[in-house]
Amino acid sequence: MRESQIMFLQYMTGLLILVFGSFHFLLISVLSPSPQKVLYIYSGINASHILVGGTLYYTWVKAVYSSLIWGSVFELLLTFLVYHVFNGFRVILSEIIPGGRAEKAITYILFIAGLIVFIWGTRTVVIGLGGGF
Amino acid sequence: MTIENKKGWISWFNPFKYGSDRWMFALHRLTGIVLGLYLIAHVWETSNILNGQVTWNKIMVDLDYPFGVHFGPYILSLVLVAAVYHAFNGIRLTIVENGLMLPRPYRPEYPYKAKSLSGLNNVLKIVLGIFMIAVSAIGIIYIFTGVII
Amino acid sequence: MEQLILKDFGEVVKTVTFRVRRYDPEKDDAPRYEEYRVPVQKGMTVLDGILYIKEHIDHTLSARYSCRMGICGSCGMIINGKERLACQTQILELGKDLIKVDPMGNYEVVKDLVPDLSKLFRNHQNVKPFIIRDEEEPKGEYLQTPGQRERYAMFTDCILCGLCLSACPTSASDELYLGPQALAQGFRYIADNRDLGFEERLNVLDSKHGVWRCHFSGACSEVCPKGVDPALAIQLLRQVMTTNVFVRFKQKGTETGPERKSVSGVS
Repeated sequence: MRESQIMFLQYMTGLLILVFGSFHFLLISVLSPSPQKVLYIYSGINASHILVGGTLYYTWVKAVYSSLIWGSVFELLLTFLVYHVFNGFRVILSEIIPGGRAEKAITYILFIAGLIVFIWGTRTVVIGLGGGF
Repeated sequence: MTIENKKGWISWFNPFKYGSDRWMFALHRLTGIVLGLYLIAHVWETSNILNGQVTWNKIMVDLDYPFGVHFGPYILSLVLVAAVYHAFNGIRLTIVENGLMLPRPYRPEYPYKAKSLSGLNNVLKIVLGIFMIAVSAIGIIYIFTGVII
Repeated sequence: MEQLILKDFGEVVKTVTFRVRRYDPEKDDAPRYEEYRVPVQKGMTVLDGILYIKEHIDHTLSARYSCRMGICGSCGMIINGKERLACQTQILELGKDLIKVDPMGNYEVVKDLVPDLSKLFRNHQNVKPFIIRDEEEPKGEYLQTPGQRERYAMFTDCILCGLCLSACPTSASDELYLGPQALAQGFRYIADNRDLGFEERLNVLDSKHGVWRCHFSGACSEVCPKGVDPALAIQLLRQVMTTNVFVRFKQKGTETGPERKSVSGVS
């Protein structure tokens, strides 16, 4: 691919992350499936650090991961993010160590690292959708 | 014999003496690196949902109280501000780096102030900056109090 | 009135300290700083100060200059942390008692304040800074309207002083990066309606260390002593790239012929 095509995708994924990222932020606030729209609810007044509710409580997070809509939002967001982040890292690193074998090595290493992160996240989404908790 | 006089990558984060665009570049790069590393951590963190209720709840509490101190909201706020900054500056860069909202080529006149760094570019900076502050404020208020404005 | 102006002329207003970075390849292993006290008259530039040091205090100090009036672009230096032409910087306008003078960054240093600008010229050559045509002998004049000239005229003002490469944060770490000067000149020829060489330049401009390594930090336009605004040229060049992003180009051994068109319109 020409560099201009790579960077065109960088801008496009950036804008798509903006859209899907806003859904993600709405999910943990307004659209939270938990009755109280708070991130954490602890038992006891003196914060005994036992989680009993809130958006990040197991039941509600599980409910989100079981939904097909949120699952696909996460998967798309993950795809765009991995491309954007690892291409960004490639740009930054190729500016620190420009040219030659080092730059090629950086490209391959970051490609594999990005693939690992992508597979790891996809695993969570797919198993979550399949209900294999 | 000549000697190298490279400023090096450390000078990316030395935006003094130049204009506001230079500051925004340094911050964009810094927040980009931070958010990229956060993504990796976040993918690990959320993958724990598959490990059952006890593990998940324990990790959530550990992340909210790292080392027994209530740091969670501060970390979340920092990530939020970084994400909001990167997003809004990213919108500006997408517009401006593709040659939109920039002046047409003009006749330079003394004192040779660059027009690409002012004009509509500055309007974008101010408008998006106001949005950025508003969104960050709403987010931080929510993270600390649970109140959605 | 004339006499009043002449009365102040030549009077020493104040004395400032010049802290100059010295490096002698025959003696020093590493650069060091040396301080000089320079009496300042009204209207004296930093270059005048350096020449005063050379004449009266230390003859071994080296600096490159020729025209002393901001035309030749030889005397670029980092003065008080910012890239400027020494001949265009008034000492009194700086308003500081300590003036720190460094050679330009991101270049190799030959001696004291003299940078080796061959990197700048090499990059400039790489973007083919000339009009590319198909025919070997021009058959007549190539026509151009004033409006077509306006599209690139401001970028012809570049004097190759190299200040932008010293200020650019990408050039600071990436020595293969073309730099603002070369990219702006690339755009200057691409935007020219007489030129047909877009595809030839694409190999260099659209490479891994070409136009996309600019991140619009604006430092180049901030320091440009001629107001060339290289940042604007790079963004406009990127617009050309983006509009042609899905077009397939024959990059090596480009075709020639009557069907070849200029990017900026019919020639």
